[in-house]
Parts: sequence; structure tokens; C-alpha cells
Amino acid sequence: MGNNLSICLLDDEPIVGDRLRPELENDGYEVEVFTDSASAMRRVGERCFDIVITDLKMEGADGMAFLELVTERCPASQVLVITGYATIETAREAFVKGAYDFIAKPFRISEIREAVRKARAKLGKKTVQ
Amino acid sequence: MAPVKGGTRGFLRWLLPWGKGDEIPFSEIFGRFQSILQKNTTAMEIIADMGSKLGGEFIFDKKYLTDSVRQVGEAVRAGAYDLNFITGNKHLEVYDVLENLSMELEMELAGKIVVRERHHIYRLDQIAENLDDVVGLKAYNLSRLARMPQVNVPPGFVVGIAGFRAYLAYNNLFEKIAGLLQECAVGHRGQESASQAIRLAILGGDIPPDLRREILSAAEAVCGGAPERSYFSVRSSALGEDGDLSFAGIHDTVLNVPFRELLSNYKKVLASLYSPASLAYRLGKRLLPMEMAMPVLYQVMVDSRVAGVVYTLDPVDPLRQECLISASWGLGSTVVEGAEAVDTYRVARQAPHVLLERRIGHKASMLAPMAVGPLQEVADARRDQPCLGEAEVGELTALALSLERFFKRPLDIEWSLDQEGRLWVLQARSLGAQKSGRARSRELKGRLADHAVLLKDQGVIAYRGIGAGPVCLVDEGDDLSQVPVGAVLVAHYSSPWLAKAIPRASAVLTDVGSTTGHMATVAREFRVPAIVDTGSATKALRPGQEVTVDAERNVVYLGRIEELLHHQLLEAASFETTYEFQLLRRLLRKISPLTLTDPESPEFSARRCQTLHDVIRFVHEKAVQALVEVGKSPWNIQRRGGKRLKSSLPLDLVIIDVGGGLEPEALPKHQITPDQIASMPMLALWEGLNSPDAWSTEPVPVDFKGLMASLTRTRPAQLDGADTGLNLAVVGSNYLNLSLRVGYHFTVVDAYLGPMPNYNYVYFRFMGGVTDISRRSRRAALLATILEESSFKVEMNGDLVVARIKKMSQERTRELLVLLGRLIGFARQLDVLMKDDAAIEVYFSQFMAQPKERQGENLGHGE
Repeated sequence: MGNNLSICLLDDEPIVGDRLRPELENDGYEVEVFTDSASAMRRVGERCFDIVITDLKMEGADGMAFLELVTERCPASQVLVITGYATIETAREAFVKGAYDFIAKPFRISEIREAVRKARAKLGKKTVQ
Repeated sequence: MAPVKGGTRGFLRWLLPWGKGDEIPFSEIFGRFQSILQKNTTAMEIIADMGSKLGGEFIFDKKYLTDSVRQVGEAVRAGAYDLNFITGNKHLEVYDVLENLSMELEMELAGKIVVRERHHIYRLDQIAENLDDVVGLKAYNLSRLARMPQVNVPPGFVVGIAGFRAYLAYNNLFEKIAGLLQECAVGHRGQESASQAIRLAILGGDIPPDLRREILSAAEAVCGGAPERSYFSVRSSALGEDGDLSFAGIHDTVLNVPFRELLSNYKKVLASLYSPASLAYRLGKRLLPMEMAMPVLYQVMVDSRVAGVVYTLDPVDPLRQECLISASWGLGSTVVEGAEAVDTYRVARQAPHVLLERRIGHKASMLAPMAVGPLQEVADARRDQPCLGEAEVGELTALALSLERFFKRPLDIEWSLDQEGRLWVLQARSLGAQKSGRARSRELKGRLADHAVLLKDQGVIAYRGIGAGPVCLVDEGDDLSQVPVGAVLVAHYSSPWLAKAIPRASAVLTDVGSTTGHMATVAREFRVPAIVDTGSATKALRPGQEVTVDAERNVVYLGRIEELLHHQLLEAASFETTYEFQLLRRLLRKISPLTLTDPESPEFSARRCQTLHDVIRFVHEKAVQALVEVGKSPWNIQRRGGKRLKSSLPLDLVIIDVGGGLEPEALPKHQITPDQIASMPMLALWEGLNSPDAWSTEPVPVDFKGLMASLTRTRPAQLDGADTGLNLAVVGSNYLNLSLRVGYHFTVVDAYLGPMPNYNYVYFRFMGGVTDISRRSRRAALLATILEESSFKVEMNGDLVVARIKKMSQERTRELLVLLGRLIGFARQLDVLMKDDAAIEVYFSQFMAQPKERQGENLGHGE
């Protein structure tokens, strides 16, 4: 079906990557998972991803800093923010900094799938089944 | 029970925290009472939310668990505080119970396994429900299998987690092991080296004397009194060992152990808990923060002629509809170890299990049963002979598939055929399939495209998975015992009433409902894929139609898609093996089950509370009781703000408004009329109470026995005096708590009714009566039948009936309150009439016939 979009997933709780990766790979995406912001930032220094999914609150550089780096380095990337600290303030800030959507933890797998579908539409690709 | 007359003021004083004349204002008591209800609702919502995370559709992290545990604890504690306020600190021991529960939950969150069981040894056939944390999953699963009539499991016993801890404590090993593991976790010490050091320490220890004695006497007991001639298998049953194939072989199993070596092999198996492979596995799965523990399973050896392994699917090519059997002479160890040539059989999963392929290995050696020593030579003539005949292959396959249905996942089963031809199950664990079989293949996607989609992305997934079968449309009132095994259950409401049929269903679909409802909980418990709130499943699907429910992608396909079902078998357990999921399940065990059910029993005390749910229940019940005690003096209540309801019914009712329960013009009055009621649930109940059949005044034909019984007490005709007390309604705009004494029936209704289904509930309790206990029990049976038929969840104990529903739509909840109103009136004289069991049927039909006529009316003026 040719939907080989790339996804970068950053969350310091390994469970998020462990569970989301197979789901997204099953949908035909190429997925790279990171559990610390430093290595994710290093990777984004090397390449851009079509879609970036990131937690906000983490040890070290937090998701907001990562979000800034991504929007600066890879303006075409679609950034989806997931976080357990869902407040209006953080959501607003994430939107201002270029995120296209915001999902509060804990979330349903279908919510992520739906949000990724939206990102895909924004990138001008055909909707994934 | 004589009616209560006066004398209640002393009681009331005792009830209140302040001295004589210094009573707590009622507004304060009812305020606290409402606060308790709110706190309990909050706590129950959090519990339900945590439960819904067991469905696999949510991704949650540890922080969610920590936060939820804290929030639910706070809500319950606040409710307990309010209870003590309104009862004058009568229930201080609730705080101790809560303190203990909180501590246990904290320990679980910190990775410790909290078990309340203290025994060292459990016989395999006597392991109670939910003891998998005590005996390990391997032994626990075997104990479940041993209960299935068609399965033979060799007798045995388990040295549980308390035995393991006793061993570590006796040899001062806790700190040493924790230190070495910590060094390993942070990378200061290699896994090999840590493993070596820990295993040496364990092997060098001594078994505590009492544990020694217990192991030996348990072994004597299971081997039938011939210990010198008996041999045992000694197997690991480690905690956290989730049955995944990747765990297989990590810990030790020792076969053919003679009686005198039982103790030394205990240490050997304990030490294997810390094998390099085990540490690597735990590090890889991030399980190291979870406490490690090794229950050990001892079983009597089977006198095995042939043994081996059966896979219920081919792990290399799981899409083939085939089971794989390997077999060898003697004990199965040559099969498990894979070192010798064995027979392999490929068999159709479909009955009658045709043998598709047979490869006979050249079996040169075998491990003989009941013998000490190395492998023995196999006699020349038997080396190239097949171990199993076709009939045995068929029998084995049928057994394996019945176990697969029980566990709902593909299995790897060790079996043995003894000299008499009896088939034994030695072990059953999940079969891990190859990665390539796991992903949804391109072919699978292609196959899916061939099937018509009946529903897509409608509703929410309550339990992930895939199920297929013929559609069985059910409606309230249907006989659920008629639901065929393997049907796809389709219903309009996610009513608790459906729960009965869920264990037999292959999937469940409902039009309305929530993932936190009782039905969803049952679906998760039985691992039945479920999608609720689809809006239109009952319309989109036709009875008898074969469908496949994909509760992973939220799609329902027309037809049975075997490829998808296979995919499910392979995928099923993946989310359940994560650390967070296991932790959630452990936490919920101390939070969610309700063990305190009968408020009339002497067991109903704070000290008996085993879970937070128990505490919630206890606080609720005691709060209601406190309120009823207060209500024993209507005069007192009226003096302090209660209002008497004036109506044509022979019912003296005092109403307390806690906010929005009465029309504003009624507020300054002492007496009000029914049209001044504003409380939604009270209005509904009143509609039922006020219906013509509820208060029929026809003379009741009393037979002699019933008459004698009722004559010994005041006649119901005297009920309209204020002296009966106890008739009290606490109302809010959406809330009702009613304590009613009609006839000699004591009724409690507690309800919330509003537009949000999640908040709606009705709790109904009914007991007491004017005649002898058998008539009262009959009446209770009748009420229970009517209530169950009307979708209530009902508990019965003697003449006590408790019924509840929750999370139903506003209209449905309202209808049920109207029904309760009618029922309260209807039941008034029933026990006198309940001469024999046949009467149950007669009055059931009579009652159920009535609403039909009125139902049209009700809908007519529905809100």
C-alpha cells in the first residue's frame, strides 16, 4: 500500500514504546522508539521523521525542548504530544510550538491510530486502512 | 419485631458525638451522608477505570497506577471520616483496616509481592482461587486443570512463596541477593557473575527444620504411603513466570527424584531462579523491579510408557490448521531436550483430528520412569516403531484443544501415557509463536478485503481480541441458557444480566454501555472480546449470521475469518505479560473484589474488609443504618426540618430535602403534597407506588397458617399511624434514599437518576415479613425472579433480597424505579399468599403481566 511513513516515538516509560511499536508497525509504518530525550535528539540531528510522537515530561531535556528542536530541524514533521500531565496550559504551549494534536495518558491505542491518520492526511498521503 | 415506639431519643443521643441537647443538626448529618455517597461514587469510578485498563486497549504507565491508587485511597478514607463523624466515632477500626490496605498497596507499587497466605505447603488439588501469587502460575494452572473432569494431573504439592521466603530468611540471604541484583541492574556486575554468586549462596544454605518436616510429610501423603518406592518430579513454578515460551527451560525441572533426594532438589530448583538466562530475561522484560520468588512443585512420577509434547499450533507456520505432537518412549525428557530423534505427528485441528503426517524417529535411547541413572537403550524392535497409534493421536489432540479453549491461547503441553493407557497432563504453558507469524501479514490484509464489513469504528473496545461465531441476538427476559457455546452475543444493553452468558460466548457486542460496566468486567475476566456502545449492533447483525468480531481494530466482518482467529491466538497474551499490566492486576486484587456481601451477617465488620471495595461497602451500609436509626423518630425529624408527605396512600412518609429535591414553594412548609416533589428518582418511585395495582385493597384470602402467623403481630391495617416510624426519604434533585416499612417489610432504596448514565444507579434491599420463614423465603424468591428478569443484579440470602443496577440510561433507570415502586406495594401482602412454591410462578406472571399494559402509557409521558 506504500504507506512507509516514518515515525519517531519518544517516551521515558518503556511500556509506551513496547506497546505502540507493534501496533504502528502492523499498520505499515517504520517506527523508531526512544526512551531518553538525548538519544532521540541525536537521531533527529541525523534524520527527519514524517511523524513524531513525544511525551512532554521526562528526565533531562523535556518533550517541549524536543518539540522545539523537531519543528526547527524538520519543519515538515507532524508532532503529536502525549503526556500524563495534561493541563490546558501545557496543551496550549505545545500547540503554539507546532504540535498538531495532544493526547492525555492513559490513552487508547485507537486514539493514537486516529491521530496518526490525521497526521498522514496533513502530510497529503492517502488515508491508511 | 415490634414496632418501635418512643425511646429513640436516648438512642439518638448515643448516636451523636455531642452530649444531651447538643445534637448535630440534620442538615449536617445528611450533608455528611451525601458526602459519603459522593466519595464512594468517586472511589468506585476510579476502581472501574482501573478495571477497564485490563482490557488491553489502553496504554498506561506506572504513574497512572500510582496516582489511581492514591486517589482511590483518599476517597475511601474521606468517606470513613464522614462515617465516624455521623456515628460518633463508632467505627474507628476502619482506619486501621485502611492503613493496612494502603501499606500493602504501597508495597506492591514498590515491587514487593504481598500475599496474606502464610502456609508453606499447598496440595495441588486444594489450591484455592486467586492463589497464583502464592504457588506460581505453573502450579496454579495445573491445579485448575486438575479440576476438569477429563484431565488427569499427577498428584502433588507446592512449596509456596512463604516457604521460599522462610528459606531465604533462615539463611540470611535477603540482603545479599538484593545487593547482588542491584549491582547487576546498574551494570556494576555481569549477569553471569551475579547469577553464580547468588546460586552458590542458595545451594550452600540449609532448609529450615519445620519446612523440611512439612515437605517430607506432604510427599508421604501424596505418594500413598510408599515413599521408598516413589519417585517425584520437582519443578519450578516461579512468580512472574508468565507461561511465555521464552521462560521455558530457564528454571530447572528435575525428574525421577527418589524420596531421599527431595530436599536437596528443593535447593537446586530454588537456585535456578537466578540462572543467567533468568536474570537476562528479567532484565530484558524490565521485570527486575518486581520481587523474584520461587514456589516449587512436587509431583508423583507417572509410570510413563510414552511421553512428549503437543503444540496446539505449528509455531513456525501458525496459520496452518494443525497441531504438532512429538513423542518418545519412556519419559518425555528426550523430547523436551531435543537431543534425540523422536516421532512427530501432524494432526488436523478440526475434529475428527485426522492424522496428516507422521515421521517416525529412530529412538535409540530413552529415560525410563521410576529409575535412577542415565538414559537407557531402547530395545531394537521398538526403535523404529511408532510410539502412538492413530486413536491415541486423536485423543491427545482433542484433549490439547480442550485445554486451549480453557486458557484461550495456543499451548505447549507436556503429556504422558502410562502403562495402562491413561493420558496425563504434566504441564501446560502458552505457546510463543514466531515473530513473523505475529504481524498482520499482507495476505491477511488481502483476505480481510474479501469480507464485507458490517460495523466499523463504532463503539469502544472493552476487551481486545478476536472472536467468531453465529450471531445470537438476546433481549432482556430471554433464556440465556439457550445461548449456544461459541456464539457472538449481541444485545442492546450492556446489562449485568448478560454476564451469565459471557463465558460461553466467543465475542460480545452491545448497542449501549460502557467499558467500566459490570458486563465489561466479566468479559475481561473470561477474556471474551467485547465492543460496547456500538449504537447499532442489534440492527446491523442478523440472528444466525456467521461473523468475525475484530476487537483489536474495532471491525465486525461478515463470515468466519480463520486467518484472523489464528492471528488472535498468537497475539492474545502479548499485553498481559508487561510489568505494568501485571502490577495493575495485583493492585486490583486488593482493591476491587467485593467479599463483604451480607450486611446482616456477623461477619459484616470493618475487620473483615479485605479490599478497598469492602471498605466502601461497609461505610455505605453503616451510613445508611445510621440514617435509618436517626429516622426512627419522625417527630424528631420533623421538628428539625423534615416534611410530612400528605397523600391518598396509607403511607406515612417524612421527607428530608438535601438540595433540589422539593419544589421551592414547599420549602417553608411542614406538610407537602406529592406534586411538590422535584427529585427525579423520588418522582419515578412515587409513580410506581401510586399505580393502581400496587395498593389494591381487595381482601387478601388468608389461609389458616398464614393467618395464625400474621395474627401474632399487629395487622397491616394499623400502618397509617405515625407510630410505625422508619418511613423516611432523603431526597436531592437526582438523589433518593428511602427507608420504608410497609407491612412488615423493611425496604431500602438508594438511587441516583440523571442524564449521565455513568452516575445512575439503583440499590434495593428488602427483608422481613409477617409470616413464617418459608413463606418469606418464597416471597424473596419471587422478588428476586422479578428483579432479575428486569435486569437487576440480585443477591439473595434467606428472606433478604438485595438488587442493584448501575450505569443505565436515564429512561431505563427511571423505568426500573417505577417498577420498584410497584413492587414495594405489590409485595406488601405477598408472604401471606405464598402458600407453596407454585405460588412463585403464579404471582410472577401476574406482576410481569401488569406493566405491559402500562408501558405504552409510560413512554407516552416519558421525560
